[in-house]
Amino acid sequence: MHYLIVGNCAAGVNAIEGIRKLDKDGEITVISNEDSLAYCRCLLTEYVMRARRGEDILYREEDFYKKNRVNLILGKEVVGVDVADKKVILQDESFLPYDKLLIATGATPKSLRIKGEEKYGVFGFRRLSDAEEIIKIAERTGKAVVFGGGLIGLKAAYGMKKRGIDVYVMVKSPRVLSQVVDAEAAQIIGRWLQENGISIRTGIGPQEILGDDEVEEVILDNGEKVRTNLVIVGKGVMCNTSLVKGSPIKTHWGILTDDFLQTNIEGIFAAGDVAETTDIATGNRTVNALWTAACEQGRIAGMNMVEMTKRYPGSIGANSADFFGLPFISVGFVRVREEGYEQLIRSNPKEFKYKKVVLKGNRLVGFTAIKDIENAGVYTALIRKKVNISPVKDILLEDYLDYPKVRDLLEEKEGLRESISMQGDTIRIA
Amino acid sequence: MKRVFVDLERCLGCHSCMIACAVEHSLSKELFKAIQETPLPKPRIEVRTTEKGDSFPLQCRHCEEPYCIDACIAGAIRKDPETGLVLSDEKKCVGCWMCVMVCPFGVIRPSLVPDKREKVAIRCDLCQDRETPACVEACPTGALFFGEAEEFKKAAGKEGGKKNALLNSG
Ligand SMILES: Cc1cc2nc3c(=O)[nH]c(=O)nc-3n(C[C@H](O)[C@H](O)[C@H](O)COP(=O)(O)OP(=O)(O)OC[C@H]3O[C@@H](n4cnc5c(N)ncnc54)[C@H](O)[C@@H]3O)c2cc1C
Repeated sequence: MHYLIVGNCAAGVNAIEGIRKLDKDGEITVISNEDSLAYCRCLLTEYVMRARRGEDILYREEDFYKKNRVNLILGKEVVGVDVADKKVILQDESFLPYDKLLIATGATPKSLRIKGEEKYGVFGFRRLSDAEEIIKIAERTGKAVVFGGGLIGLKAAYGMKKRGIDVYVMVKSPRVLSQVVDAEAAQIIGRWLQENGISIRTGIGPQEILGDDEVEEVILDNGEKVRTNLVIVGKGVMCNTSLVKGSPIKTHWGILTDDFLQTNIEGIFAAGDVAETTDIATGNRTVNALWTAACEQGRIAGMNMVEMTKRYPGSIGANSADFFGLPFISVGFVRVREEGYEQLIRSNPKEFKYKKVVLKGNRLVGFTAIKDIENAGVYTALIRKKVNISPVKDILLEDYLDYPKVRDLLEEKEGLRESISMQGDTIRIA
Repeated sequence: MKRVFVDLERCLGCHSCMIACAVEHSLSKELFKAIQETPLPKPRIEVRTTEKGDSFPLQCRHCEEPYCIDACIAGAIRKDPETGLVLSDEKKCVGCWMCVMVCPFGVIRPSLVPDKREKVAIRCDLCQDRETPACVEACPTGALFFGEAEEFKKAAGKEGGKKNALLNSG
């Protein structure tokens, strides 16, 4: 049996481990167009701020591939999948055959789609190589302009600021994190960032990038000009699906997957930022491009490549970050714009504190907390398990809502992960 | 695999386990010095209460398939293949709180590294340097039990009438 995995990050690495759980002998090949061993992509922020060095952000020990008997091919790009002949096509026109294939190619930053974008000095914040180039220019000039106020843009800005670089964040929407939290929470976080020295301007985007080969200046869409040699783009990501273009593998936002993370073609699976799955909180098909989801999907897809046994319960939008010591967590559906939802909110903007739950009928579907984040996981569990929360509705916003208060509710439900201890941890001795 | 089990009926909520845990995880490991440390050492076991007001000591369950491992963007959490313990490498932790976000028991908590300002997520490590975890040793009523699941079931069963014993997974 030859397992082929395209992509060597969260989803790919966990797939190796998933396969090896059930098949110690099969041949595994992993191919990636990046040159380095798998690293913690999310720690590019820490890398930029000098809190971690390159070797500190490796995701697994160096002997991981050897130990798991993985044939690792780095720095090569897969450009096509030949489903009929069961092989993938590389950029150099060579082939790699497979019996089972996992597409774990992740995502790429969206571009600004403006003139001058190809100049040196415009970067996404996705790869180690991006971070290295960003640091080079920032060290030289001491200034960076970030377009986009999503988590990636803000993480880039935060990393730079902590390094002592002047950072200017420009957001087209009226506030930062407009896709992540509601308006009130966004305002609180935005104000905190500004108080900590990150300049944020809203309602502004880029129009054109000027300079010879290198960026020298950006013209904003209000006509203003900003001098900078460094532009970081944080306008969201798009799935790396180009390798399946022209193949019968179906895509929508991402590669479509079923309950077992298999695509419409038998023996071909997808996991991670490239995979479209069902969202647990909303029931909609979506791409939850998150580390947690990529790890879980990778492992489950890996196991299913060996033996179709493990059902994927669906993904959940869940973000957590800490900027300048202010933590915040947001899970599930929180940006309510339509009827049919109930919101309970406790807000203290002065102290940068916020807590909100979103209910649909008697189910918890979303949760945001700023500053006081302990027990956040209990809320995540209530969302995941689709529990009837009526018995605890009155105390949902209280700090003392913890596991013992909802234990019975959670245990009534069958576990989403069969072997997690939630229902197994009680023995009732008569 | 040895774990800490809780006999809920015996817990009086005296918080001795919390103090012992915080001291054990302090720099000095001595109560009177520990309470002067900055940051103040935090316990990894907490006595919480049920909706009826009964005491409920809670710490990491060392889950069979832990959500926290998937969530850790720093690759800092591992399940020890031999002991099954889910352990965090506090040196690798970057304090992003993804594990806090997904732990269904709410037993991973933000804290500060002793003597430093760095933030890390802390959890019960079953006192790796000790034979018996500090919390179990400190419990005056025997509500905390350290041993194999089977042993605990037997011990709890013999005396009878002990409902709702909290059993660790793993
Ligand atoms: C700065 C930053 C911070 C983040 N912070 C968080 C966070 O706090 N929490 C969170 O949940 N998520 C976070 N994320 C998102 C998280 O990193 C991603 O969800 C995760 O990396 C997805 O893993 P993946 O394996 O699916 O894809 P990727 O990490 O994108 O890896 C895919 C790999 O496949 C390679 N590849 C792609 N196409 C091809 C091809 N055709 N041929 C060969 N190789 C190919 C890519 O180069 C890459 O190495 C962050 C991301 C960034 C960039």
